[in-house]
Amino acid sequence: MTKPTVASDWLCGCAGCHMSLLDIDERILQVVDLVDLRATPITDLKEPDEKGVTVGILEGGINNTYNEEVAKRMRERCKILVALGDCAVFGGVPAMRNFVGVESALQRAYIDAESVDAEGLIPADPELAEMTRVRAVSEVVPVDVFIPGCPPDADTIFYALVELAQGRIPEIKNDKLHWH
Amino acid sequence: MIKLTIDGKTVEVKEGTTVLEAAEQAGIYVPTLCHHPQLTPYGGCRLCMVDVEGARTLQPSCTMPASDGMVVNTKSQKVLDARKFVLTLIFSERNHFCMYCQVSGGDCELQNRAYDEDMTHWDLQPNWTPYDVDASHPFIVLDNNRCILCRRCVRACGELVGNYTLGFEERGAKSFLVADYDVPLGESTCVSCGTCVQICPTGALIDRQSAYQGKETEVDHHISVCTECSIGCVRDVLTRDNRLVRIEGDWDTEPSNGLLCENGRFIPLEEDRPRVVTPLVRKDGSLKAATWDEALDTIASGLGAGKGLAALASTKLPAEALAYFKSLFADKLSADTVTTLEEGAATASLSKLAEKLGKSFESSLDVLKDTEAVLSLELDLVKDHQVAGFFVKRQLQDGTKLFVAGCDDCALAANAKVTLPLNPGSEAVLLVKLVDAVENGTDDADLAAVVDALKAAEKPVIVYGKTFAANADEIALDALLKLADLTGAALVGVKGNANSMAAAQLGLEAPFKTEGASAAVVVLGDEAPTAKLTKDLEKVPFVVALSAYESQLTGAADVVLPVAMWAEESGTYLSMDGRLQKAIKSLEAPEGVLTTLETLEKIAGAVKVQPDQDWKTSLMARIPTIQIQEA
Repeated sequence: MTKPTVASDWLCGCAGCHMSLLDIDERILQVVDLVDLRATPITDLKEPDEKGVTVGILEGGINNTYNEEVAKRMRERCKILVALGDCAVFGGVPAMRNFVGVESALQRAYIDAESVDAEGLIPADPELAEMTRVRAVSEVVPVDVFIPGCPPDADTIFYALVELAQGRIPEIKNDKLHWH
Repeated sequence: MIKLTIDGKTVEVKEGTTVLEAAEQAGIYVPTLCHHPQLTPYGGCRLCMVDVEGARTLQPSCTMPASDGMVVNTKSQKVLDARKFVLTLIFSERNHFCMYCQVSGGDCELQNRAYDEDMTHWDLQPNWTPYDVDASHPFIVLDNNRCILCRRCVRACGELVGNYTLGFEERGAKSFLVADYDVPLGESTCVSCGTCVQICPTGALIDRQSAYQGKETEVDHHISVCTECSIGCVRDVLTRDNRLVRIEGDWDTEPSNGLLCENGRFIPLEEDRPRVVTPLVRKDGSLKAATWDEALDTIASGLGAGKGLAALASTKLPAEALAYFKSLFADKLSADTVTTLEEGAATASLSKLAEKLGKSFESSLDVLKDTEAVLSLELDLVKDHQVAGFFVKRQLQDGTKLFVAGCDDCALAANAKVTLPLNPGSEAVLLVKLVDAVENGTDDADLAAVVDALKAAEKPVIVYGKTFAANADEIALDALLKLADLTGAALVGVKGNANSMAAAQLGLEAPFKTEGASAAVVVLGDEAPTAKLTKDLEKVPFVVALSAYESQLTGAADVVLPVAMWAEESGTYLSMDGRLQKAIKSLEAPEGVLTTLETLEKIAGAVKVQPDQDWKTSLMARIPTIQIQEA
């Protein structure tokens, strides 16, 4: 029997959820025994296999058109999509900017901030992705498993990976469930 | 009695019980948010919906009265789905992102309810409308973004505190919490009691001092008694790493059932006076750090044989320390004056009256919670003994009549039906007039209003404070008793500091005179000395101060010994209504700093006497103004 394949990617997050994933320490060997770890942002292969993977994991919310593409690609190429961490589940800390809007957030960051000199400039290269409201992954593509937490605990991530590897949907509750 | 079935369990409850209360009695948990045991059921959040057989829709169990033969299901799929849906609606209404909220992680009831339902996320999009955060108040931050419109704060401010500062503006999802007619909270009629913060289920009302200082899971709780005044509210002192984090009221305990005032809740956290941490002895004109032996030797030689000695203690000290203080200075050292900083002003005349009568004559504070008419004599319950003021103010809406005498411009008078002029010293005149008005009638409309209301009330109350006790002569007190007798009024004396009554029981009520005093020992504890006391002591050649904090008085003293502050020692307090309660040590004192009692023991050792340790017997020896009972 072939092992289930897993791919991950990050969107508008801080990479903390992937750090928490690495926090499972030596248990990663057990995970590798159970699954075929394919593309991740922290390994050489960056994009999930075109022929698809069993489990796709996304960290971070969706804050521009590029993130939207990545999320859609992952959704197309995986059977089970996992939203990992508060940003993927709710929008997270980056979603704070939704309360002020993209324009004033850019104005504050690139023009008004105390550390910006007189030549402050809002990036406007046509090649840059277009910024949008920060959205939870589930607002853009259907999500199968939600693992909230900022970040989720390594134990919770390990439990979820082991369950997924064995074809079960993890139940995130009690001490595994927190939104902060 | 009513019999109903909840989740297949038959429960028998009293008529008027709500379905929620019946479920509680049956040991069945129904989640709630807007509901609070201290408040009138409201039915606002819809989280407590249950399935009632025969009802067209789900019913809110908090407002639904139980009826005979009712069959209730609290766990049907319909109920569980509704719960999740209600929570989803609440979460999506405002900024309920837990990762940037101070109460997240155990302290938020909204979050906890969602965890209970195993909610990993919510399906609706949040409303991204930002609301202003009101941080104008010195202690409280009001953040409408976190508000779930449960109105617990509004109801607590009105129903429990009687202040009616908080209210709602606009309607539906646009409703937002405002103070008065939408003024900044810091400029409003708020009295800073903090009940709204304590009762808020989310992070909409938080207190600045404890914000981000420690969550429920990280703090230690110490259920103790408030030592700020004589009411003796039970408070929960929250500490972390030997640091004061927050003070909360205890909903389940008399006398205040969760209420505290600014002085009990917020002011202790503002403490910034420098501590005395080592004994100090005056050498060559200036105070210098000294060893305990050096300081105690100086005290022993300075006090002499008690001749010309005056000893003063704070009425904020525990009863154990006060009794020991009395035994040491009055019994063993025969000091000329042994009294308290209050000098018996709040109690002396009343203690004498009890002795004359041979029995107690005052009533418990509870009578103020349920009365139709209150006559307040020379007392502003809005400023002093505030929680007692809350008890009165919260009943005014229901028609309780308040009459205020001798407090014309005070805040309490603003709530009064009638104010009666009363100058200090003329207490007898007014009370005799009132007695006469009851017996023979009167043409004076104001006096008539007072006596009519007192007579008509089922349980009228006459409440008086320190100024009255200090000024009332024998005629006034006899008239007071007669008035109470004629109208059936209960008498409530609020006394002074936390252990004012204990001091009275120990007979520490003498006036303090400096003439002829050659030495004085002032046991301040954490009390700040008044300017008058500091000045009076300037005339005394040798002054010893036992104090937790530096002050002008300690600066001018000849020997200063450090002592623990309120949170650093356990001890007993006798409240104004005779309850003996324990204050519990919540913090470790700085190294080398002892409790007041231990420090007094050191002095006793230095002057080679052995004071009596049996504080309780001394406390019970005198006829009290109100029956003493162990809480």
